[in-house]
Amino acid sequence: MDGDPKLARLLEHPAIWRGRSAARLPVLPSGFAALDEQLPGCGWPRTGLIEILTARFGSGELRLLLPALASLTRAATARWCVWVTPPLMPFAPALVSGGIRLDRVAVVGGARALWAFEQVLGSGACDAALAWARRPRPREIRRLQLAAERGRTLGVLFRPLSAAREASPAVLRLGLTALATGVRVTLLKGRGATRGTIELAWPESRSARSGS
Amino acid sequence: MALQLRSAWVRPAGGPRRRASLHASPGPSAPAVPAAAELWAAVHLTGPDPGEKLQRLALRAQAFTPRVSLEPPDGLLLEVQGSLQLFAGVTGLRAAVTQQCRRLGTAVVLAFAPTSLAALTLARAGRALAVTEPAQLIGRLAPLPLATLRWPDEILGRLARMGVRTIGAALRLPRAGFARRFGVAQLAVLDKLTGRAPDPRAAHRPRERFRHRCAFTCELESHAAILAALAPAFAALGSFLEARQCGIVELECLLAHRHAPPTSCVLRLAAPAADVERLAQLLAEPLSALTLPEPVRGCQLRSSVPVPYAPDRESLWQPGEHGGGLTSEACGLIERLRARLGPDAIHGLALLEGHRPEQAWGATDPPAAAGRGSAATGRTGSRAAAHRPLWLLPVPLSLSVRDGLPRRRGSGLRLSGEPERIESGWWDGGEIARDYYTATDLHGVRLWVFRERAAPHGWYLHGVFG
Repeated sequence: MDGDPKLARLLEHPAIWRGRSAARLPVLPSGFAALDEQLPGCGWPRTGLIEILTARFGSGELRLLLPALASLTRAATARWCVWVTPPLMPFAPALVSGGIRLDRVAVVGGARALWAFEQVLGSGACDAALAWARRPRPREIRRLQLAAERGRTLGVLFRPLSAAREASPAVLRLGLTALATGVRVTLLKGRGATRGTIELAWPESRSARSGS
Repeated sequence: MALQLRSAWVRPAGGPRRRASLHASPGPSAPAVPAAAELWAAVHLTGPDPGEKLQRLALRAQAFTPRVSLEPPDGLLLEVQGSLQLFAGVTGLRAAVTQQCRRLGTAVVLAFAPTSLAALTLARAGRALAVTEPAQLIGRLAPLPLATLRWPDEILGRLARMGVRTIGAALRLPRAGFARRFGVAQLAVLDKLTGRAPDPRAAHRPRERFRHRCAFTCELESHAAILAALAPAFAALGSFLEARQCGIVELECLLAHRHAPPTSCVLRLAAPAADVERLAQLLAEPLSALTLPEPVRGCQLRSSVPVPYAPDRESLWQPGEHGGGLTSEACGLIERLRARLGPDAIHGLALLEGHRPEQAWGATDPPAAAGRGSAATGRTGSRAAAHRPLWLLPVPLSLSVRDGLPRRRGSGLRLSGEPERIESGWWDGGEIARDYYTATDLHGVRLWVFRERAAPHGWYLHGVFG
């Protein structure tokens, strides 16, 4: 169907909205081909709030984001990548070996995580911002989503998997479960995305190559 | 007001013009007396620890003349020709300067001479003379010992062996031979001493700070009302900074109470700022977090030393778009976070040259404060660590053990891969000897655990691969 050039030109008309038109938004390749196929527009959105729900801290959520964060910080016009109140301290040598440029990374500590996250998202100084929250209210998440659009920032909110039943204004929601050599990703919500579950295997060759 | 007064002082004294005429007639063929009449007053501080008193005296000396220059550690020079008739001549000026010194509690010798170095030499020699006629200068200087010129001991020793112990004897030596044997620098000093060569001196510019005190008409309790009452102080700060083309990096607001000691509220900025409205908004954050012991009767606004400030150019691009305007956005973010969460709210990460995991990283200033340099790019790829977790526990967490294997939350950990031995730090007392393993727990979370090599061979959790 898409092969017909006349039809394709017609479908470009701005008044026509299709379910998969979210694909027109700029995206960021995730670094995992299988995941890119599943995500709307074949990658992480460049702007907006996404939620990653994990059963356990350290289920592979950071490793899933690491290639995208690395390409963001390595861009010539990169802005910051800010970690808001991380539960532990991100380990700088591992970030560097993951390809992240440390001079574009900042860590925000302190008590008021959601307030700080909203400031970071809305400031326009960051390409990406990560935050950890236990139980934010839907209204707060809505504010975060608006702030991320205002600052043209990719905001990533990490929450427990039990929050999957609650509604959320985030543009994309993923559930993550750790596997023996990879991670199971469940797409819970996405604009124009097909719901489903995929299993990703970690590229073990990478660590072997950098170690040699 | 203070600025206008100062400029009114500068003009009659004609400092720049006179200095220009000095520059115009250099060289050894210049007349023996400066072209324009100058009279220098030298203050020699004789008391102990003169350094700090010198700074304060320099500040007070601005009342007598705008041309004040410091001669550390214990000398102060004032060009007073233009001030003589305002202070009733040399006698009146001497009395006024001496009174200022007495208030500071320091003992001084005050001498006047047509050249700055001559006045300083007289004062250092302890001669509180007033030589106003250039013709008398050499006659008054001649009996002074050479040591008052503070030349190196080796040169003074050689001169003394030649029988030259006074300035007069040194001046009588042939110029060419003196320059050859004792150096051109020493000859230049003698020329400056007698006025044969010009001796321009840099004027001391005291550091200015902004201070503004205002008393409220009634006692205020609400933070919003206090901030509104601070508006005139901020307006004064704005005109102060605008007049000097400066910005500030620190602002302190002291709130005065009836009985309690004043409450202080400090605002620190990531980059110099001169925008008063923004400063007021930022100050509102720490101010609203204050708990006031009593209602506020008045306030004082104090700034740090102003620094030169170039206002941002408005960028054509949106922030972040083509790299435009990032610095101001980032600075604004840092300031907002610091104003509400405290000075340690945001930091950057850096690699350190340490083999121990705890010492392989460090916290730095946030990236924007450290400058948007791309110099660190070369380093980042050079030390790709072998196999490190993305999260590190600040302190290793002790794990329970059953059958020699570590357990966490009631279930055993599965170890995988070869252990990595890290043994380091014997030289600074932080010695570690550990075998690091990758472990997987019941839920599939991969952990970084280690076993101590020393007895009792405890197992610890040190990182999460995430």
